[in-house]
Amino acid sequence: MSDIAPGEKAVSDIAASDIVETIPSALIILDRNLNITSANRAFYQTFRTSSSETEGCHIYELGNRQWDIPALRTLLESVIPHRASVEGFEVEHDFPTIGRRTMLVNARKIFRPGNHEGSILLAIEDVSEERAARAESKRNWQLTQSIVDTIRDPLVVLEQDMTIVTASKAFFTIFGITEGEARGLRFSELGQHQWDVPALRHLMEKVLPENKPIESFEIEDNFPGLGRRVFNLNARKIFQAGNHVTRMLLVFEDITDRKQRERDALSLTNEISHRIKNNLQVIVGLIAYEARSTALPCVQGYNAMQARIGAIAQLYDLISQSSRGRAIAMDAYLREIAKTMSGSLLGNTSGIKIEVKAEALDIDPDRAVPFGLLVNELATNAIKHAFPDGTGRVVLSVGQVGDQIELTVADDGVGMKDKDSAKIPEKRGSDYVAIFVRQLGGTIAPSVSEETGTIVRIRFPFLLVPPGGSERVAA
Amino acid sequence: MAVILIVEDDVFTREIAEVMIQDWGHHTLSASDVDEALILLRSSQHIDALFTDIYLKTAVLGGCEVANQAIKLRPKLRVLYTTGNSITDKMKALLAEGTHFLPKPYTQHQLHDSVEDLLAAKI
Repeated sequence: MSDIAPGEKAVSDIAASDIVETIPSALIILDRNLNITSANRAFYQTFRTSSSETEGCHIYELGNRQWDIPALRTLLESVIPHRASVEGFEVEHDFPTIGRRTMLVNARKIFRPGNHEGSILLAIEDVSEERAARAESKRNWQLTQSIVDTIRDPLVVLEQDMTIVTASKAFFTIFGITEGEARGLRFSELGQHQWDVPALRHLMEKVLPENKPIESFEIEDNFPGLGRRVFNLNARKIFQAGNHVTRMLLVFEDITDRKQRERDALSLTNEISHRIKNNLQVIVGLIAYEARSTALPCVQGYNAMQARIGAIAQLYDLISQSSRGRAIAMDAYLREIAKTMSGSLLGNTSGIKIEVKAEALDIDPDRAVPFGLLVNELATNAIKHAFPDGTGRVVLSVGQVGDQIELTVADDGVGMKDKDSAKIPEKRGSDYVAIFVRQLGGTIAPSVSEETGTIVRIRFPFLLVPPGGSERVAA
Repeated sequence: MAVILIVEDDVFTREIAEVMIQDWGHHTLSASDVDEALILLRSSQHIDALFTDIYLKTAVLGGCEVANQAIKLRPKLRVLYTTGNSITDKMKALLAEGTHFLPKPYTQHQLHDSVEDLLAAKI
């Protein structure tokens, strides 16, 4: 005898039917002959049918036999009779009313008291969109992988824990490992742990959490089977919109040959620079030897000559750090000239200081020599004439004014009296200044004499740097 | 008056440097390569300072080698390097600690100041 009273059982049935009506999966109940005894609202909505068209109808006859599907027949006629339940049976079919769909079918035999033949409950879930998204994702992945495989530089995709997800063929070739060996391997374990570099590890740890790419991290080492190589590493975070999974794309650029060419060029330039400066040393030595036996008034001329040679020599330090055709950084050049002049004309104990205030501007190598000599002449004039008491300040400035470069040599000395204007700079120095300004394609503004000193301004065209040759060379 | 060993492979540059340094009242010794320098450094000759070119024809970094050997032989020796090359960080790392540097081309005034600074520096 049942413990449930007739009234309570009715309430239970109503609650169950409410639940059935509200769940999103389509449900149908079949009798042992596969006739539909009932279906829920989700079924009618999904398959655009009604209870009158459905109930009592054989499952295969429903909707112009659109359910007469071989896969469903297999489930209902071959699988269900032998099993109490089946889960995740996938059926893909073109339904005339709703088009091609992928359905996930769960089936369960149910028995009610007094009904020994039992019924079959089918829960049908439309997983078409999910399957389509999965297929799209797979196609995207295959496309990505095929792109990755065609790139000649080795690429690797890493998980957040720095294990390898996938890589390009070039990567496997270079590191001499198979895809199977690479997958799940930690990046730091590659090769002979050459990539386990603290600085690189530090940068890589910031790529995903801080979305901070790695740009041109250079690493040089001996790699098994490859020999000594230089790689340039770039890394960035990759993610797909709507997907919470983020990974790191790491690209290895083999720059060994390029580095070697750069080193060869640098070595050659250094060698030339070394020879030139040794020859300039001989010239400076000759002048120094002559100066020993020269009357004191003439020694200043020899000193000035040495300073001019020093200005040219400084240029070679900058050129040796560049390759042919590149621009020279004027700010760095001014600082070197100031340093040389301080050493050659002033010495450690001088009360005259030379300062540099320069914007980061470039000059083409062809005009660098007249520029350096011009600065040397103007600064030498200031040192010689502006500070009778031996103390003061000379400021060398360079900046951009419109499409021109303005060089300013200013001092805080005694300034020029009107009657001296014609004499200062000195005749020969003045001739040199005029020549160098012409070489620069510039103009010289009249010297401005103020209570606190003298300012000489020279302007010359900004752009004589060859196109594409804008890489700066800093001291 | 100090005794200064000049190591320079260019004869003219070496002799001009000798003349200048002698003009300032110092005594000079000279060598054109590593071996000549080491013979003097291993001798009983009193030497206060070494002024050496870094790049010598017979040895690329011969001046560094001379300086390193010299400091081992005479720990209190003062060292002034010179070179026509740009002085890079890599090269700086090769220079012995507490030593001085004078780039080429140097004038008599720059050499004078460098030598006086060298001799005045605490060891």
